[in-house]
Formats: sequence, structure tokens, C-alpha cells
Amino acid sequence: MTDPAGIAVSEFGTQPAGEERSAGQDQVRSLWSDAWDSLRRNPLFWVSSALILVFLLMAAAPQLFTSADPFYGDLAVARQPPSAEHVFGTSSQGYDVYARVVYGARASIMVGLLTTVGTVVVGSVVGLVSGFYGGWLDALLSRIGEVFFAIPLLLAGILAAYLFQPGPGSGLVSQVLRVVAVLVVFGWPSLARLMRGSVLQVKPNDYVNAARALGASAPRLIVRHILPNAVAPMIVVATINLGTYIAVEATLAFLGIGLRDPAISWGNDISIASSIGLVRAAPHMLLFPSLFLSLTVLAFIMLGDAVRDAIDPKLR
Amino acid sequence: MRARSRAMVVAAFTSVALLATACGGGDSTEEPQASTGQGGGEITINGCTPENPLIPGGTSEVCGGNVLDAFVSKLVHYNVDTAEPEMDIAESIETEDNQNFTVTLKQGYKFHDGTEVKAKNFVDAWNFTAAAENAQAGSYFFTPIEGFDDVQCGDDGDCDANPAEADSMSGLAVVDDYTFTITTTEKVSNLPVRLGYSAFAPLPDSFFDDQEGYEAKPIGAGPFQVESISSTEMVLTKFADYSGDYPATVDKVTYRIYQDISAAYADVVAGNLDILDQVPPDNLIGDAYLSDLPDRTAQREAGSIRYITFSPADEQLADNPDLRKAISMSIDRAAIAQTVLSNSEVPATGWVSPVVDGYQPNACGEACVFDAAKAKALYEQAGGYEGTLTYTANTDGAGNQQIGEAICNQISNNLGLDCQFNGVVDFATFNNGIDSDEYTGMFRSGWQMDYPSIENFLAPIYQEGADSNWSDYASPRFNELLAQAAAADESEANSLYQQAEAELGKDFPTAPLTYRKTTVAWSDRVSNVKINPFGVPDVAGVQVTG
Repeated sequence: MTDPAGIAVSEFGTQPAGEERSAGQDQVRSLWSDAWDSLRRNPLFWVSSALILVFLLMAAAPQLFTSADPFYGDLAVARQPPSAEHVFGTSSQGYDVYARVVYGARASIMVGLLTTVGTVVVGSVVGLVSGFYGGWLDALLSRIGEVFFAIPLLLAGILAAYLFQPGPGSGLVSQVLRVVAVLVVFGWPSLARLMRGSVLQVKPNDYVNAARALGASAPRLIVRHILPNAVAPMIVVATINLGTYIAVEATLAFLGIGLRDPAISWGNDISIASSIGLVRAAPHMLLFPSLFLSLTVLAFIMLGDAVRDAIDPKLR
Repeated sequence: MRARSRAMVVAAFTSVALLATACGGGDSTEEPQASTGQGGGEITINGCTPENPLIPGGTSEVCGGNVLDAFVSKLVHYNVDTAEPEMDIAESIETEDNQNFTVTLKQGYKFHDGTEVKAKNFVDAWNFTAAAENAQAGSYFFTPIEGFDDVQCGDDGDCDANPAEADSMSGLAVVDDYTFTITTTEKVSNLPVRLGYSAFAPLPDSFFDDQEGYEAKPIGAGPFQVESISSTEMVLTKFADYSGDYPATVDKVTYRIYQDISAAYADVVAGNLDILDQVPPDNLIGDAYLSDLPDRTAQREAGSIRYITFSPADEQLADNPDLRKAISMSIDRAAIAQTVLSNSEVPATGWVSPVVDGYQPNACGEACVFDAAKAKALYEQAGGYEGTLTYTANTDGAGNQQIGEAICNQISNNLGLDCQFNGVVDFATFNNGIDSDEYTGMFRSGWQMDYPSIENFLAPIYQEGADSNWSDYASPRFNELLAQAAAADESEANSLYQQAEAELGKDFPTAPLTYRKTTVAWSDRVSNVKINPFGVPDVAGVQVTG
């Protein structure tokens, strides 16, 4: 753990944390550099990172991967098997499946990333506050969290998606934000609990008491001493959750209540392609979006696993 | 209205089909019946759970309607092949002026409880169905009959606060046991054709004494009688004392209720189910069903039309028939019918289904014929469309989304405007949205005929103020033609209705899209499976062969 060392130095009063760390690099390695060392040696990390990079690039600039228009449907070429012109074949509407799959990455990645950021921000703030201050504030926040925690994420998603439907022609971003909002509202309690637990673990440590004795304010204590030491488990869970959120978005879309035109969502395309007769007639329509969805979810979960192994070997 | 409820049934099927995996009745222990040539034997048909108890006037959806049609008889029977009305319980239906009708019944026609079908069974049943306090779905069929308004409740429709003025319609009168008269408020030339609809079936006296007893075991006067009704199956047996002209061939019919139509399909292929009244749309793709069930399927146009309604709430479309025609012309109906609908529907050329008398081909003219160049020219000439044109449909109905996307893609590709599909999550939401003028652009519409008459495709949909006039079409000339046709005799009426249809071609309130077909499949145990003009297999004629 890094901060005990940090506190020991700061008792002498002057050096900023960065310098102190580089000064003592030989003797004291930080949690993060330890973690990086172990990550570097984990092939799982490199595989998942490479996949995620590809998907991120796909989400940011789909034009790099395909020149076809994912919205151009021509019934004359509907349900064609993969060919040189349409590498992944065409759908029932005559869309190019490859273009659909590539453009579909954006929605999934956006939902995953934004939901994770949202739940991490809300979860850590709530967790820090209730863990650090305790008392009635803790009781109140924990009960509120339990209320949301008791409702299964998917059920909540279905309910909210029914209640708050996007108007016709609403764009990708507003649709994504709608899904993200629902997932954040019902997804933060698990992270808040996790955060609260680790805060309670860190709070009684000597270096915290020492800082308090030296007159550090509450915000300083939280930001400088507690947060850096309590955040590790949350990073692990958040990374794994990222994949889960992508899967939930696909599930909602599969049920016809997630993202919709003009947003392209893998879940939607899977839903359309999955009736038995269509699977017989055009299996490629189902195969490729499913494959990309699975790979994305897998990549984030693998990354989460690797990060967990690196920063919290106890959980292995 | 029927089209609305039918769409719901299909919707229920598909959403279940999405969620449930196939769990076909593997436990079926159907003993092969000995070959009995012309008659006898038992058959199974796939069924679904009726929405309401099987009272003729209260059943307006297919799940109950299909069973009901097998065990009730009506005044008029529609010919299975031609849809021509033929006298069934009625000996004759006579009128001088299309407003006062005298119905004479055949004697000796029996209900399943042994009582004879008499004039008062009709009059009582109709009064029951029409009265608002009984809340029967088929009530609106009695709108033309004199005194209908008197059996409706007060302004707000609250029957407790404002009860109806009368409990029977003044337009119905029993003359003797086998004769009654019908008086209508306006002239209705096709009333005899309407009387074959199940809402006009008679009810036995026992219904009025013990409605619960009836609901547990409904009684009609049809070729089959109800043996038992449960949540998993409905069993009908041949009625021994049936004296009508359309007797049953088989001894027993079991409607087996499937939660998942895909499972029913698998059972027909495996020989565990005899008749499937609707092959699931996804099995039609690439004609897969033809190889699964060689020579054991049939298709027939089903008195049903799919069309696009131009929203009256859209200012750009509202006063611009040329723009509406241009949009219609840019849609390749043949490609949609062939690719998206797997040939289960045919391109529409007018507003009236080909199965009814009075149908004229090409009533829609070139506005329904795909021509990208012409469409584009007309579109430019009409001034174009600014902004995003939307096509709204409920996505819980089978194929609605695929059809909507295909329509929009073609409009976008051919006219160069931005057309977007707007999916609405379910049917109820969709209906509410239409009623509150929420949707601009275009929206999905469908109509399933109630009785085989050209009038049924025009008056309920395009008459000013009609219940299903979603396009808010209001044309004095059209209304005038309908009124004239209702007063005219049959042959003259058809030509007046055709002129009315031609008005639609000029004003173009909606764009006809396709005529639907029903695809029926059967096992190798049965033969002579025919589809009636409503798209339902004719149960009475089915024969067991093996």
C-alpha cells in the first residue's frame, strides 16, 4: 500500500506525493506500478485491450472500416449469403450486414462506457460520503441504495424503457443517454456498497488518523488518503460491469424497447434475425451481430479479470 | 375494428414466439384413425385462448371466432369457395325498399340443447348484443337497426348513471315463431349479406336463464356442438340432430391451444397436429414450408387489406394528393410482397379486396404501380416534402417493422427524401397515438372484412365520421355515392360502390399496399382442407383419410 509510506514522508511536512514516490521508487513500489507490472505480463490483458481498441476505433470512426451505408436497403439484394461485395451478406431489408455490424459498435460502446462512468461517479460519491461520515447520512443513503438494489436491473430497464419512449426520429445520442440514465439509476447501488465497504476498511488506518491529527480537512482526507486506497475494488467491478451493461442494452433492444431507428444496435439486428425460419434461410444475419456483441462483452470482462488479478490478487 | 383485434392476436403469437423456445407437444398420443373414407374420425387444430366467453356477440377476435364459427349457425352461410351468401337458418330474407326486411326461418332447425330455433331467439340475441349495458364487442354491427340509439347509455357511456332508454330495439319485431321483421334507420342494400356474421347468430332460451351455464358450455345451432372447454383445449363433437345444409364430416374436432405458433408448426410437420390455420411468417421465408410440408399447404386471399394512411395531422400531406400519390408510386409493392412477406401477400391495386363481389382491378391506377422516375417527377412537381417523413407502426405485430422499414427505404431511395420508420411498442399505444393525432407522416393500417361485401371496405373506413376513418377522409361526393348505393338494388349498388372507390383514387386519402393471404398447413392424415373467404380453414368439410 502506498500511502503509509506517503504519510511517513509527509510527517516531515514538505514533499509532494509525486516526487516522494519517484524518490523512493527502488524501495517502495506503489500499488499501481505493481499492478501495471503484473498486467504487462498477462496475455489476457493484451488480447482484450487489442479487441477493445478495435471496437473503440469502430465506434469512433466506422468509415475507416466500411464505405457502405448501413441505412441503404435494397430489397433486390435481400438475404444474400456472404460474397465479395457483401462480406457478411445482406439482411432481409437488403442492408449490408458488415456495415450494420460496424456502425452498431458505436451504440454498444457508448452505452457501456457512459453507464460505467455514470455508475462510478454516483456510486463512489455516495459510497465515500456514507462510509466516511457514517451516522444518519449513512443510514439514509444505504436505505435509498437498497431500494434501487432490490429492483433487478433488467426489470427496471424494461419498465423505464416502456415508460419513457423516445419520440420519432430522436437521434443516437439522446437515445443512448436515455438508456444510460436508466442503467445508472438502477446500477449505482452495487458500486456504492462496494465503495462504502472499502472506505470503512481504510478509514481506521493510522495514516488517516495521522492526517486528521495534523488538521487535514474532511475533503482533503477523502481525496488524498481514502479515495486512492479504496478505489481499487471498484475499478475491477466497474470494468466487468461495462460488459454487462452492453449486454443489457442488447437485451432491451432484443425485446424491442432499447435503441431503435435511426440508431443501429446489435441487439435490434439480432432480434430481427432470430426467428427460426430466418435462421434457416439467412444464418449470417444472426451470426455476425451476435459474434460482435459476444466479442465486445467478452473483451471487457476479460479486461476486468486481468485488472482484478493485477490489483487485487486476493480475489483471484 | 376487427382488423385491430386480429392484429393483436398475431402480435401475441410473435412476442411469445420470441421469448419461448419450442416446446412442442411431445406427449401427444394421437392414435391413427382407421380409414373411414367420407366421414368420421377425429382431427386436431391449433387454437388460441379466446379473449371473452364464447358468446356470438361478444367475440370479435380470431381465437374465439374460429371456434364459434364451427358451432353456431346463422341466417346466412357464406359459400366456402365464392363467399356468396346462401340461406342457412333463413328460408328467405325479403325486402321491397332496402329498409324493411322480413326474415322467414326454416322449421325444425335445432339448438344443441334440443330446443328449436325460433324467431324470438334471434330478436332476443340481437337485443342482448346491441344493448350497451351488456358491453358486447359486436354491438356496433347493429348500428343500422332502428332503435339502436335507444339501447345505448347516456352521453358519457356510463350505464349505471345514465341507463339506456329502452332494453330492446324498436326495429326488430317477432311476427310468429318463424318470422320476424327488421327495420333500419337508413336504407341498407346489403343487409342480408351482413347477417352471416357471427354477431347475428341466435341464442337459445337457456342463455337468458343461465348465462354462466352457457359460458361453461356454449350452445349454438351449428354442425358441431361444444363438448368441453378448458385452458388447454376446446373439444367439439358432431351434432347428431343437425338439420342444416352444411353438416360436419368428422366426428370430433379438438382445438389445441398453443402458446407458441412455432411449436404448432413443428407439430404439423411431425404429424402430431392435423391443421395449422396460419403458417408462421418466418417459415414462409425462402418457401421453407413447401419442402417441410409437400402438397399439404394452401394459400388463399383472405378478405383483408394492408394500407398506408396519410396522417391527417400532417400539414404537408393533408392538402396535397399529388404528393401522396408520388409517395405511393415510389413504393415497389411487388418487391415487398415477394421479399419481406415471402409471397404471403400480393400487391394491392385498389381499396377493395378481390374476394368480394364488386371488386374491380386497378381501381388505384398508376398511383399503385411502382415507377421510380414518374414518382420522382410527380414528387418534384407536387413541391416535395420538408423534413423527415415518418412511417409509424406498432412493432408487436408480425412483420410490421420489416414492412415499415422497407417502405421507408424505398421512399428514401427513390424520392431522395428522409423517411424514417417510427416503431411504437404495442398496439394499444399505437391506437391511442392515432386517436390523439400524435403521428405525422404515414402510419400502418389494416382491415379485415367483417362480411364479404364491397361496402365493408368503404363505408367503415372512408365515410365521414366513421369509426375507422383514420385518414379523416370527408368527401361529400363519396358520402353521397355510399348513400345512393345503400338504397339501390344489388347490381346497381356494386357499380355505385365502385364509383365511390374511384373517388378514393382521386383524393387518395390512403395508399393501398397489399392484399393478405392466409397460408394453411395440414398433416398427412386429413384431406379436403379448404380456406374460406375469411382466411379460416373450413372445419366442417375436412376429411380424415389415414
